[in-house]
Amino acid sequence: MTAIFRAAKSLLLLEFIGALGLTLKYFFRPKVTLNYPYEKGPLSPRFRGEHALRRYPNGEERCIACKLCEAVCPALAITIEAEPRDDGSRRTTRYDIDMTKCIYCGLCQEACPVDAIVETANFEFSTETREELLYDKAKLLANGDKWERSIAANLAADAPWR
Amino acid sequence: MTFTGHFQSWFGDGAGWFIATTVLILAIVLPVMVGVAMAVYADRKIWAAMQMRRGPNVVGPFGLLQTFADAAKLFLKETIVPSGASTAVFIMAPMISFVLALAIWAVMPFDAGLVLADLNVGLLYIFAISSMGVYGIIMSGWASNSKYPFLGGLRPAAQMVSYEVSMGFILVAVMLYAQSLNLSAIVMAQKGNVLGVLNGNIFNPLLFPMGIMFFITALAETNRPPFDLPEAESELVAGYQVEYSSMSFALFFLGEYANILFMCALIPVLFLGGWLPPIDWAPLYVIPGFVWMLAKMAFIFFCFAWVKAAVPRYRYDQLMRLGWKVFLPLSLAWVVVVSGWLMFFTDKFAAVPGSVVS
Amino acid sequence: MPKLTVDGMDVEVPAGATVLQACEAAGVEVPRFCYHERLSIAGNCRMCLVEVKPGPPKPQASCALPAADGQAIFTTTPMVKKAREGVMEFLLINHPLDCPICDQGGECDLQDQSLAYGKGFTRYQENKRAVTEKFMGPLVKTIMTRCIHCTRCVRFAEEVAGVEEIGAVGRGENMQITSYLEKAVTSEVSGNIIDLCPVGALTSKPYAFQARPWELKKTDSIDVMDALGSNIVIGSRGPAVLRITPRINDDVNEEWLSDKGRFANDGLAARRLDRPYVRVGGKLKAASWAEAFAAIKAGLAGLPGEAIAGIVGDLAAVEDMVAFRDLLATLGSQRIESRQDGALFNTAARGDYLFNAGLAGIESADVVLLIGADPRREAPLLNVRLRKKAARRQSQVFGIGPAVDLTYPVTWLGDDAALLGALPAAVAEALAKAERPAVIVGMGALRTPGLYEAARALADKYAVVRDGWNGWNLLHTAAARVGALDLGLAVEGGVAALADAKALFLLGADEVDAGAGAFTIYIGTHGDRGVRHADVILPAAAYAEKPGTYVNLEGRVQRALRAVFPPGEAREDWTIFRALSAVLGTPLAYDDLPALRARIAAEWPHLGGGAMPPATLSAAGAVTPVSGPLALAIDNYYLTNPIARASATMAECVEQILAPLREAAE
Repeated sequence: MTAIFRAAKSLLLLEFIGALGLTLKYFFRPKVTLNYPYEKGPLSPRFRGEHALRRYPNGEERCIACKLCEAVCPALAITIEAEPRDDGSRRTTRYDIDMTKCIYCGLCQEACPVDAIVETANFEFSTETREELLYDKAKLLANGDKWERSIAANLAADAPWR
Repeated sequence: MTFTGHFQSWFGDGAGWFIATTVLILAIVLPVMVGVAMAVYADRKIWAAMQMRRGPNVVGPFGLLQTFADAAKLFLKETIVPSGASTAVFIMAPMISFVLALAIWAVMPFDAGLVLADLNVGLLYIFAISSMGVYGIIMSGWASNSKYPFLGGLRPAAQMVSYEVSMGFILVAVMLYAQSLNLSAIVMAQKGNVLGVLNGNIFNPLLFPMGIMFFITALAETNRPPFDLPEAESELVAGYQVEYSSMSFALFFLGEYANILFMCALIPVLFLGGWLPPIDWAPLYVIPGFVWMLAKMAFIFFCFAWVKAAVPRYRYDQLMRLGWKVFLPLSLAWVVVVSGWLMFFTDKFAAVPGSVVS
Repeated sequence: MPKLTVDGMDVEVPAGATVLQACEAAGVEVPRFCYHERLSIAGNCRMCLVEVKPGPPKPQASCALPAADGQAIFTTTPMVKKAREGVMEFLLINHPLDCPICDQGGECDLQDQSLAYGKGFTRYQENKRAVTEKFMGPLVKTIMTRCIHCTRCVRFAEEVAGVEEIGAVGRGENMQITSYLEKAVTSEVSGNIIDLCPVGALTSKPYAFQARPWELKKTDSIDVMDALGSNIVIGSRGPAVLRITPRINDDVNEEWLSDKGRFANDGLAARRLDRPYVRVGGKLKAASWAEAFAAIKAGLAGLPGEAIAGIVGDLAAVEDMVAFRDLLATLGSQRIESRQDGALFNTAARGDYLFNAGLAGIESADVVLLIGADPRREAPLLNVRLRKKAARRQSQVFGIGPAVDLTYPVTWLGDDAALLGALPAAVAEALAKAERPAVIVGMGALRTPGLYEAARALADKYAVVRDGWNGWNLLHTAAARVGALDLGLAVEGGVAALADAKALFLLGADEVDAGAGAFTIYIGTHGDRGVRHADVILPAAAYAEKPGTYVNLEGRVQRALRAVFPPGEAREDWTIFRALSAVLGTPLAYDDLPALRARIAAEWPHLGGGAMPPATLSAAGAVTPVSGPLALAIDNYYLTNPIARASATMAECVEQILAPLREAAE
């Protein structure tokens, strides 16, 4: 008897009709995805995106060339060279991040004693060539200038947990 | 005066016929190509909607130009012929696929009289051309000289052969009712064929199961899910297309979708009454026939995409089992049932010249 | 020999040892800042507090407490832990939290010990003390806010360097370490206070902010700036030698390093010969190695062996000199001279030209006679050793030659060489009565012909070579010299005898004006004095760029490792000779360094790690009366070799340290 029922069920495509009904139901449901380039999802203040070097409010760059980020970087993506600036302060002459090596672990910003190197909330920095992803100091400082408001807001939002 | 007649009056018999036919071919091919582009878009969009996604929505209004963007991208890519490949066959394969997919449209009636070649053996022609379509795939799989394409070429050979058999029997049932192999005649035979008011074999209880079976067979014939084993990306990366790039890949892609569209047109012609409205009621005939035809094609294409979203891919042995152990006996038996019905309860065979009626 | 227990372990220490030393003997680590093995005890950092029983019920400073019989020392009790945390908290009250910009960061005693023994947080909210920077010269950078007043630098300057130019003023929180007059420290060993400073208050000025300690590749090497063969560690990053620090070797440099050896590293990157040159029409033109070799072959064509000669410079390694010697041997020449400064002395037996008393041994000399020697400039770390007893008047030092300040009392007898034959009675008496008399003859003095024999006669007269003691010492100034003499690279008459050569090879010989009128091939590292007459220049490797063996002035054989690679097309010297020999027709029999070293070990076992030959002296030669003023070997301490002359740091030292001194002298 079961065999007959099963054969009948199979011949009448009952399961397929059920599946089609289900998919049709979902066809009319509202979309759950975002209309990405125009809509964006919320980001945590701790989001780790593109890197930036920050400045103090008076325009002085924060980085003091302590090289802790270079030392802590597990991907060896950071290269720093330093020498005394004319005023005797310790500054970088070179601060390179190879974004193709970077694994966005955020250890550099954890290590930074002066909040100079940070990962901004920006994740839209795709480029047409690999070379553009080899960031130098000028690019990182420009990022910092561009994203300072969002960086400062994120740092402030995350401060109570630090 | 016919369309061809006008041209013949202007350019003479031969040249006029040639120019007229060329114009007519273009009049079919160009809309089909645009239709393919729209079909690809619709396919993605429907599929996305059923997964509660948005689908392409950036290029052009509502993402309508997405397919054209993809085509432009393919155009600009480099055509790569693998060093181990059999070059001539490798290049010929996508052409065969594409040309056959377009050639098959020659006998498709879009409205009463709106057909390029009104063959009296139109259905046979369709059979012949669609059977040859598999050669493009086998050749590409062989010529690539690579493992995945090779397996991807073997699969459709067996698959298409298997399903063409049952497809043939289904068509026999339709032909028995229509008493003709001409597609226009088949459509016209469906006018008011059920209870005198419904147009379409599908409303005939004897042909309804045949319609469903034909739909499933069409899926298998066009390598659509759930029968997309030749290009099963999870098993064969992309099957016979693995080594293809740029325009050669585009030709395969276009041919595949042209075939799908053709099946979407053939099902209405055979089962849904073609360009006829579903009910044989005069006011409905106000709407032009080709609008009915296009609407029916769109509905069938939606069903194609719908099935794709709902059903998982068959395993190869399941595919074979379904073809040989279910569809073949079922369709064979059904042909017997249909012809028996026609023989004993109708006068269809009596009208056929030379038929034996006791 | 007090016996005591440290954390339950029994130890026995020599009489006079401190509790801290007893703890070290037991293998227990006691944190400390002010205590240093080679300096006097100050007891002012209080970090080394331990609990001592029997004793007062409070922790005691172990560095200043003599170990006594039956003491029980505890270093892990809660009392000690609390005391250390308290001391650390006090030290950190005024220590700025600027580790990220501090060059000491990563190798800082305060960092390490606050991590190990500190509290981990601070309760101090008030402003920290700020101290103005002090000027200490071109070598030492001061950030005095970081100072924790351990006074190691003050004690080093006073006790070891002998220049009382660093001191502390003020009391309590207002105490400051200062150079008093904001003048450059005039010591040749001032760089050591950088190593001594447990925090980042004194750091290296040329190395400031250049690198972090963890970035540097550390390679053990040998200093070649003087003949001492100080053991050093070369810190390099990529192709650059960024800093040089001493390695502890109690027999050679203890744990010090002279300023030239420490700071001349920037000379390794400046004015380098990085490709061969050939002189065409009076002008040097860049060439390929093949062209340079072809030019040499053409220049040597038809010359008999005796017309070819070679001069070895001051910085060559033994391997280079052997390959050089072998190359000239294939050309039929034995005429190689290494004493490019023109000094003349007997090289027949090894004892003739060694510093026989040894660097450690010279400390036990009770009467020292310096003949035309200025150990402070010629071998600063030897001077440090001589100073140990002399400054405390436990030994007497007499000097014949120009009077110079050696930082300890020296009785200068005059600079006339004739004094050798007629010593004042007091000196003669002191030498005669001395248990361990030592004669130190400088290279400058040996330029006077006949002086060597006169000095030997004097030495023999007072029997400076006696059972268990050899007080006959030559104070060499070049790192390559003793090794070259061991190889026999000396000719009768010195460099002057080579003036007739038609073709002259200069192996880094920059301190001699030779080669005019001869076909001259210069193999060296810098575009220095040696290239003046060169017809072909072959770029070679400096000491940090090749593995090499060096023999120091006391005959100690030491091996250096390669830290970086030579710049451009420069190659290791011995490979140049090997390649050149193939071009000239008779390839040398070794293709790699092990083969070359095996060849060296076969002929001179002691240079390959074998037994040392005895330092015997040959019989003294005939004495002819000498007279006239004696000169010193080194005029300018900071510019004695091509590397130092190329160094910007050394030039700054001349400007800021030597120039004011000379002005003052005039």
